Amino acid sequence: MEFLTNPLSLLIVLPASAAVLLLLVPPQSENLLRRGALFAATLTFLVSLKLWTGFDPASSAPQFALDLAWLPAYGIRYALGIDGISLLMIMLTAFLMPVSVLASFNYIKESQKAYYVCLLLLEAAMIGVFAVTDLFVFYLFWEAMLIPMYFLIGVWGGPRRIYAALKFFIYTMAGSVLMLAAILWLVAAQHTATGVWTFSIPALCAGVLTAQAQTWLFAAFALAFAVKVPLFPFHTWLPDAHVEAPTAGSVLLAGVLLKMGVYGYLRLAVPLFPQAALAAAPWLAGLGVVGIIYGSLVAWSQRDMKKMVAYSSVAHLGTVMLGVMAFEPAAVAGAVLQMVNHGLSTGALFLLVGVLYERRHTRLIEDYGGLAKVMPGFAAVFMIVTLSSVGLPGLNGFIGEVLVLFGAFRVYPWLAGLAVLGVILSAVYMLGMYQQVVFGPLRHTENKVLADLTPREWLYLLPLLAFILLIGVWPNPFLKRSMPAVANYINSAHRQAAPPPAEVKFSLGGEAK
Amino acid sequence: MTPEILDFTANSAALPLMLLIAGLLILLLPLFVRRLNGAQGFIAAGALIAMAFFFRRPPAAEVALFNGALVLNPLSAYLWAFATAALGLVVLLSLARQAAPDESQGEYYFLLFMAAIGLMVLVAAGDLFTAFIALELLSLPVYALAGIRRSKPGLEAAYKYFMLGAFGSGMTVLGIAVLNALYPALSFAALKAGPASPLALAGFLLVISGFAFKTALVPFHMWVPDAYEGAPTPVAAFMGAAVKAGGVIVLWRLFHLFDGGPVIRIFWWLAAITVTFANLAALAQSGLKRLLAYSSVAHAGYLAVAFFGGRQGAEAVLYYLPVYAMATIGAFAVAAALETDEKGPRIEDLAGLAKARPWLAGAMAAFMFSLAGVPPLAGFFAKFYAFAGAVNSGYTGLVVLAVIMSAVSMYYYLKVTVVMYMKPAASEQVYEAPGLAEAVIALMAAGVLLAGVFSKPLLAIASNAARYF
Repeated sequence: MEFLTNPLSLLIVLPASAAVLLLLVPPQSENLLRRGALFAATLTFLVSLKLWTGFDPASSAPQFALDLAWLPAYGIRYALGIDGISLLMIMLTAFLMPVSVLASFNYIKESQKAYYVCLLLLEAAMIGVFAVTDLFVFYLFWEAMLIPMYFLIGVWGGPRRIYAALKFFIYTMAGSVLMLAAILWLVAAQHTATGVWTFSIPALCAGVLTAQAQTWLFAAFALAFAVKVPLFPFHTWLPDAHVEAPTAGSVLLAGVLLKMGVYGYLRLAVPLFPQAALAAAPWLAGLGVVGIIYGSLVAWSQRDMKKMVAYSSVAHLGTVMLGVMAFEPAAVAGAVLQMVNHGLSTGALFLLVGVLYERRHTRLIEDYGGLAKVMPGFAAVFMIVTLSSVGLPGLNGFIGEVLVLFGAFRVYPWLAGLAVLGVILSAVYMLGMYQQVVFGPLRHTENKVLADLTPREWLYLLPLLAFILLIGVWPNPFLKRSMPAVANYINSAHRQAAPPPAEVKFSLGGEAK
Repeated sequence: MTPEILDFTANSAALPLMLLIAGLLILLLPLFVRRLNGAQGFIAAGALIAMAFFFRRPPAAEVALFNGALVLNPLSAYLWAFATAALGLVVLLSLARQAAPDESQGEYYFLLFMAAIGLMVLVAAGDLFTAFIALELLSLPVYALAGIRRSKPGLEAAYKYFMLGAFGSGMTVLGIAVLNALYPALSFAALKAGPASPLALAGFLLVISGFAFKTALVPFHMWVPDAYEGAPTPVAAFMGAAVKAGGVIVLWRLFHLFDGGPVIRIFWWLAAITVTFANLAALAQSGLKRLLAYSSVAHAGYLAVAFFGGRQGAEAVLYYLPVYAMATIGAFAVAAALETDEKGPRIEDLAGLAKARPWLAGAMAAFMFSLAGVPPLAGFFAKFYAFAGAVNSGYTGLVVLAVIMSAVSMYYYLKVTVVMYMKPAASEQVYEAPGLAEAVIALMAAGVLLAGVFSKPLLAIASNAARYF
């Protein structure tokens, strides 16, 4: 029964069972499908509010914990529990889901049943990734997520959708198979040391590994997460996937899936292999900064709005990685907040691009211009979201960016200095795009008849705007809840590795030790 | 009647095998009773259904019959259940869409039953010589089944399969002769205790290569793509799911005669070459049955990786076999439902299937994802258990290679889903799958969807059976 009464477990079971129920709906009753999906997603969000109210911001222990035996032969347990970081991520997921469903009502015309089933299964898997404390179950959800996302891109995507879907699937899968091998090795090593089979993440974090083992294992984990973040040389799947995915797919991809890479570093790669992580941290932070500069420059040169937003994601996630790899409270807390911010503002940007695309079926910047005259409501929303993405004080993006830069400056002054350049660049390309789309004369006659935002569009944009403003002026409730988890993370990073085992020590030349 | 035969018939552990032999004899009835001709399929299905009632709790202890030639224990009971289930599914598929020409209906089911009996003896064999005889009992009917349509691809399949299979059998029997000269007895226990000499090594390698032919490990796999493509699709499913299992079990027994040494190193190389080559070769295939053939070779490689896992590996092998068989039989059933010519559908022929037959496409996608090892499907759990044991025994390098190659395999399995879901249908083709075939497909799909997440019961039975390896 605990399986259903525990709110975390319920958050996984609810969307998954809703997806199964939707399968039974006849495909012709489109309204029932849409409303059913919306109802399920909203209900999930309401359940997630229980997490928010019941969460103890002062405690650093896992909360809402649930621990059920699943496959006892291998010590695999259905173990759930969240800290402040997972809480924010789960809330973000549950919040973005009804928004994505609403945004799909007009956009998706074909095979709606399969579409909403995929969305709900994706939600279950995403929440699962953030909620579990068992490494096996984590990997299970981590990979299971790929199937619905693959179909979302491949079936309902744009013209190059097959290429994008395959690239997305194979990149992520290739990144994570080595993590599977590393997980097996880690658990086998733990079994050798303690005689117990366990996949429990806290137990594995407490285990001691030699520095050499840590290096290899960290490399395998870091690769899997770097593909997902995506860090600079592994990012090429992202623009393709984003551009081809349907709007809701892009929102979830940017809003939630990209956070999983960073979350992986926060929850697994660093706490499990602290010494290797500390050694690699400057390089990873450096790659983050390369991502900021590179992503911004490439975004600047885009003519397609969706592509621009996609590359801006590379830049934003670079900032987050810089913060996470600084191991400094302000920087890490800022990075966690920035993960939420990026989910909200980039999600909103994709939604706004989707609004335009549904009307004109083009995403090229030069096909627009002067929209302020015909779509004033749209222009206003777009303005706020753009400024939030750029990091204007008073809006959410500012808080996260500033905290990351302040914190990172103490650790990596040069990198932080370069990252500031990225902030400037982001203002250049985002505001440039905004200006060309919204201001100026109405050059294209087709644009003269564009309708302003419909009530449905307002309905899903307003909550996003509310949070963009709320976090901008009152970030404390969000920061406060993540602080104990951030402190845990920093402590875990400074844990010492085990000394190398005795048999590895040898001396040259027969000299006695 | 000798006492041993009495013992055999009186022993309830041997009941399934006896019932199957009885079924085989009943299948001969139409030879004498003309009116029954054409009803062989239903007789076969009926015999199997009757058999299902006699599957009882596995024997608690080990029973050795015929001087240890047949060893009956929970392990053999598990594998017998597996073999009869595979046979039953293949019979159902053959009933759904006639696999053999009208005049060969009688032989068809008779040969299937004979092969299944061979498989059951093979997995319960207590010594190498019984294993060889059982292998022949299994192989000869399958050669005939592969060519039963007497069409050009069918004959080519049967011919290639027979030539290479006979070559493999020759190697096996030569190896057995060598071992017979060196060891006092050919039982697996006696072989383990025996002395190590270069000649014995040569004998073992000959035997191993013979069984590697049946299991289709690279480089003994050359017959597989042509045989699977040319054989009637239900027979190909039987070859992929059941015949391979027999080879795997015997190889497993041979593997465990050694603690390290050259044989283990050779197994290492066989596994490594198999997973690498099969997955790379599968990338280039355009026929669905050829793709599944290479996929079956790749899975033989993953099973060989599981050999290295000790007890854990044994459980993994026993769990892997039914999970892999479900996905393979299901995928071949889909291929059978869509086939318009002898060689079965090409991958492009599946275009638009998701629109035309959403449930069929969904099931096929589940089989593909399961074979690829994507969670939460059963195939992932099978691979996970298989690799976990090998890593725990220190064979991390082999597992790293296997996981990388299974990432490569993702591409060709995804290709099938891409065609089904993302490409429009080339023509207004009407797919008609008979109800019976759909039932088999639905059952297999439910299996791969649930056997992973709820793997505890199957794993518990496998674990109990693995104690008798």
